[in-house]
This record gives sequence, C-alpha cells and structure tokens, in this order.
Amino acid sequence: MSQQQIIKTDQTYQEFLIDESKYQGFAESISFPVSEAEILAVLAAMREHKTPVTIQGGKTGITGAAVPLGGHVMNLSRMDQCKEHEVYENGTVLLSVEPGINLIELKKEIGKIPSEKDFFWPPDPTETSATVGGIVASGAGGLTKLLYGSIEKYVESIRLITSDGNIHVLRGKDELANVIGREGITGIISQLTLKLVEKPDQTWGISFFFNSHENAEDFVDRILQEKPTADTAKVAAIEYMDRSTIDLIEARKEFMSSIKELPDIESEVSDLVYFELQGEENGIEELAGQLMALAENHNSDSDKAWAVSGEMEIERMHAFRHAAAETANLRIEQARRQDQRITKLGADMTLNNITFGAAIRQYRQDAKKAKIKYCIFGHAAGIHLHVNLLPESYEEYRKGIKLLEMWARITCKEGHGTVVSEHGIGKLKKTLFRELGSKEYLEECKMIKHQWDPIGMINRGNIFDWKEDIG
Amino acid sequence: MKIAVCMKQVPAYSEGNMDEKTGVLLRQGLVAISNVYDLPALETALQIKEQTGASVAVFTMGPETAEKVIRDAYACGADSGYLISDITFAGADVLATSYTLMQAIKSTGDYDLILCGKQTTDGDTAQVSGALAKWLEIPHINWVSRLVEVSEKYIGAEYLMGAEAVTARITYPCLLAVEPSVFTPRMPSLKLKMQAGKKSVNRIGLIDLEDKDSGHYGLAGSATKVKKIFPPKRTQKQPVIRMDGKDSAAYIKKIVDDIM
Repeated sequence: MSQQQIIKTDQTYQEFLIDESKYQGFAESISFPVSEAEILAVLAAMREHKTPVTIQGGKTGITGAAVPLGGHVMNLSRMDQCKEHEVYENGTVLLSVEPGINLIELKKEIGKIPSEKDFFWPPDPTETSATVGGIVASGAGGLTKLLYGSIEKYVESIRLITSDGNIHVLRGKDELANVIGREGITGIISQLTLKLVEKPDQTWGISFFFNSHENAEDFVDRILQEKPTADTAKVAAIEYMDRSTIDLIEARKEFMSSIKELPDIESEVSDLVYFELQGEENGIEELAGQLMALAENHNSDSDKAWAVSGEMEIERMHAFRHAAAETANLRIEQARRQDQRITKLGADMTLNNITFGAAIRQYRQDAKKAKIKYCIFGHAAGIHLHVNLLPESYEEYRKGIKLLEMWARITCKEGHGTVVSEHGIGKLKKTLFRELGSKEYLEECKMIKHQWDPIGMINRGNIFDWKEDIG
Repeated sequence: MKIAVCMKQVPAYSEGNMDEKTGVLLRQGLVAISNVYDLPALETALQIKEQTGASVAVFTMGPETAEKVIRDAYACGADSGYLISDITFAGADVLATSYTLMQAIKSTGDYDLILCGKQTTDGDTAQVSGALAKWLEIPHINWVSRLVEVSEKYIGAEYLMGAEAVTARITYPCLLAVEPSVFTPRMPSLKLKMQAGKKSVNRIGLIDLEDKDSGHYGLAGSATKVKKIFPPKRTQKQPVIRMDGKDSAAYIKKIVDDIM
C-alpha cells in the first residue's frame, strides 16, 4: 500500500472535514483513489485496523453525510471518468461513469455521444458540482423531479465495493434499492451505468412576480388544483422563492458569475414563482398562455414576467434557483464564524392534506413568533418547501432547532407528510428522524446495513448511530 | 428615430477547435447564445425607444440558427429583425464582416443611430463597430459607459479614455459601441416572447446587397487569416484551504518564510 495513497490529515485537508451543512468533523487520514484497485487497496489497509471509512464526492450535501467522525476519509472526486456508452436501436442510451464525475462534466460527456438526437440525465439538483455517486447515494431529485420522477428510473446498474473487499454488480429495482438513497451505508459506489433520456424539443423558464403574499399563495394553490396541461408540452417544475431569499441572492449576486448580469427584482415584489415548461413550442405556448391568464387573475403583471428559453438561459435560471440554497448556506457560514456550533437549519419536509398557502403562512407565522430570521424557497408541488432558519447567535440556533422539531412533529402527526425528503438524513437529522421519521424505513436501513456491511465500517454514523449498526 | 442594433450569435463555450486550412472557428455542435456584449447595446436601444418612441431593428449576421438572436430580441422589445445569411458571408474577418453589415444595413434604409456591443466573445477584436462606422462614413464613439442625453439632433454620451471619462455630443447619424456597464440588459418578457414566435424575420442574402461581388465577402473578402486558436493551458487543481484569519495568516507566513 503506497504511503502516498493514504495521507495523514493536517491543516491542508481541513476542507475535507466539512460539507455544505458546515458540520465540522475530524479524521486521521484521507485518500483520493482513482481506480477500483486503489479503492480496494485503501479499504484493505483500513480493514486491517477496523478503521471506519467515510466516503465523499463533491461534499455538497447538507446533512453531514460526507463528514467524517474519525477514521479515514475516502474522497472519490478524482474518479471522474466516463467509461463507455451504448446506444440501442429502441432509442435507449446507457452511459457508464465513475462516481466522482460531477453534473457539469457529465453533461459535456453526454454531449460527445455520437447520435442524431440529444440526450440528458434527468436528475438535476441545482448544485452542479455534485457528483453522480453522491446524487445516487442521497437519492436527490432536482427541479424537474415533478415531471421525470425519482432517480431510480435513471440508474441501470451500480458497481458496489463492500467493506469485505468484494465487488457487486447490482441491477434491477430490488438490488439497486440497497444503494440508491441509502447514503452510502452499504458500500462504496465505484461505477454507475446511467439511463439517459432524449432532450425535450424546447424548454422555457417563466418567472412570475407578485406584490403580495396572498396573490402568490392563491396563484400557486390554483395551479396545483387545476394542473394546466397541453397535448405537446408539460410543466416540468414549479419553484417558489420569497422576498428574503431574493434579497439574499441579490446581496451576493455580483460574486456569482452565472447570475450577476440578471437585473435586480423590483423592491415591491414579495414572491416569485418559477415554471419550467418542456415539449414542443406550440404546446409550451399553450401552457404559457394558461399560466399567464391565471397569473394575471392574481395580479401578476405578465409584461414583467421573465420568459427564457435555450440551454444556457435555462441553466442561468437553475443557477438563480441554486443561489437560494447557496446564499442561505453562506449566511450560516457567517454566523458560524461567530460560533462554530451553528450549522444549517433547513426544513426538508413534504406536506400533504394542506394547501401551499396554509403551509407557508404557518411557517412564516411560527418563525416570526420565534423571532428568527428565515427565508423560504422550494418545490411548490408536493408542498416541499425548504424553510431555512438564519440564526445570528447560538441562542437563536437552539430556538431554531426547537422550531424545526415542532414543525416535524406537526408534519408527522396524522400523516401530514414526510419529515425528511431529498436532502437525506445524514448525521444532522438522525435524532429528528429517529423520533419522528418512518420506523419501517429505519429498520429496513439497519437490516441492509447488517447484510452489506456487518462490521459497520463504511459511512458510519449516517442515518443511525454507529453503535446501533453493530448493536 | 430609427435605431439599428448589431448582434451576433456566438458559441457559449469552445475548446478553440478551428479548421486548420481556413482558420475558421468550428461551431458545429456547440451551444449557441447571443453575444453577451451585444445585450447592453440592445438594452440601450430599448431604453431610447421607451424615452422617444424610436423603432429598433436588429441585424445579425450568421447561419439560420442565428434567427434565435432576433427572436430573443423581439422578446425584449425589438420591432424588426434582419438575418444576414449567405454561404458567401462565412468565415469573414473584421473587414469583411463590417463591409457586409454596412451593405445589409444600407439595403434596408437609413438609420439615425447604430448601436454595437463592445466586442464578441469569439472574435474578441472589438473592431467591427469602428470599421462599420468607417464604411458608413458616420461619426462614432467606442467605450460608451453612459448615455447623457438623447435629443432630436444629437446624442450625448460619456465614454472612457483610459483613466478619464469624456462626455461628448454626437450628431445623427452616428454609431455608438457600448460598454457592458451602460445598462443592465432586461429579461425577455413572457408576453413579448409569446408574440416573438409569430413575428417575421427578414432575410438578407448576397442577392439583396448593392455590391454583389462575392469576392468582397466572407473568407474571400477577408484581409486577415487566423493562424491559431487555442484555449489557455489548464494548470493542476490545487486544494482550497479554509482557515480563520489568525491561522491563515500564520500559514501564509510559514510559506513565505520557507521560500525566503
């Protein structure tokens, strides 16, 4: 085992002990394997001393799943190659990639596939530096999950290295369920085969602006109720942002190259609702017309509504949406400089049996009552809003934790929704999930952990406490 | 007032691959966008339109795909558009491009004001605007950073001359090349975008120009040839080190001490 492959962590590697949640960890050593052989070699060395191993990709997660709590960090970001592709007569395209390839590079590689048609991989978290391995391990969806559904549909197979050094090739829904969304508790993803989908003919991104919460809330509720349709186009995404989110973005916009040229949003605007429409142009125009009429009925000026199309412009809208999370995280980082105990406080709950308007009004009311600054953005469909609390002191942070717990209890009561959705449980939401999450899901995770990693070596501490792994 | 805006469709990104024989950038398969430097020029035109009721015509020289530049300009408020497209126009340098633009603009009428962006992201010369003004034999100002006034007979603009800003009045007809800072480009409006798809785009080919000699256009009409296009060398990725103020100061001091 090369000494260069296993590196003792020092101050140079501080950035690998933290993820976007700003949760700080620690580790004795780190490696950056570039092949399965190197993964196996490092794993063998760690197995000798039963050293736990935490797997990392782009470290873009916000629940601490990639943060080590001792032991060894295996960072797979340098395993970023595209292996091969296959184009089938029926139009199916499969692309095999290493786990460390990020979405930006994946897109470029897909663009190189010789084909008359254009393809893409539907899971599209707005964090484009996220790696495919991490996206699959966390089960992330992205803006257009509304149209394209869960990530399972777009993974053909996974090569998984387990803690005993065996390589498993997993195919089919049941086998892949041991990896997808399991936050790395079963093993190390060394390769993935992705299913690509033909790109839509056209994509439009439309942003409506509202000058009152009531108008925006009623508009969204009406859209979710009426579900506008067209024969040749569909609504792929419905995203919401409040004024606090817009203000956070605009304060940092000049430092964000992809969105710094966007004009400032008028100060009277209190809410923004973004739609993404995909399909043929005539269908998109039909849908856009329906949305425009509804927006005008709710006092949104369609002369001022933004409408863009084309790959780069849609990417800019995604970057704008991503800036919501990024700037909220930056605010936490600022607070953390005053007190390192502060970490991200964001809700990731999906709600049912409640309207969008009622949900958001409740969130606002509760946050104001607790006197904690906040911003709200997220997926309007599924009432999946990311309420980000922005504490400015540790005292506020503690109040924020209690507020999140209160919301989680209300959500879980009588099945009003799910406590944890696309961000995963990681380390930061374990306590919350143990108390309020699905007991069946927890037991299922423990069972597969015993099956695939009985010595509890890989990604210890994700989803449940490691002592429970071997308990 | 009649305003003409020159815009170009360019690759969003490129590895700099070029045809070895002709020196022409290979654009096939690359995502295309409106040149970002032209958007402030369009915005300047639209600001003047809102102030004076002027009409705004957009001219773009390129293949059929460049029609999108005009449709996007319609979605922002442009009134008419001209796609200058012909196989003989391909591969043009600054001289041939500016000549073609001049011929095309003149074929559609007289304009009080011609607006151009600072440069293109693919050619990067920033010379077409000045060359176009020369062909049209009209006064021009480059590096316009601010519009000072717009009147019936002249336009007042502030432009940058190194460390100094100069304010000048320039009578019509004239040409201004604007800096990106002149105005923040507006976003396309939904209402206008929905109308944009139905508006007509005029086409101008060699046959429509007063000078029909193909030797004056495209590669044949170019005085210069690109020898090489290459992206800058990528250096190895370096780790990002995050520390607080005191620790990072000590860390940097140690590096400097080791070097010294």
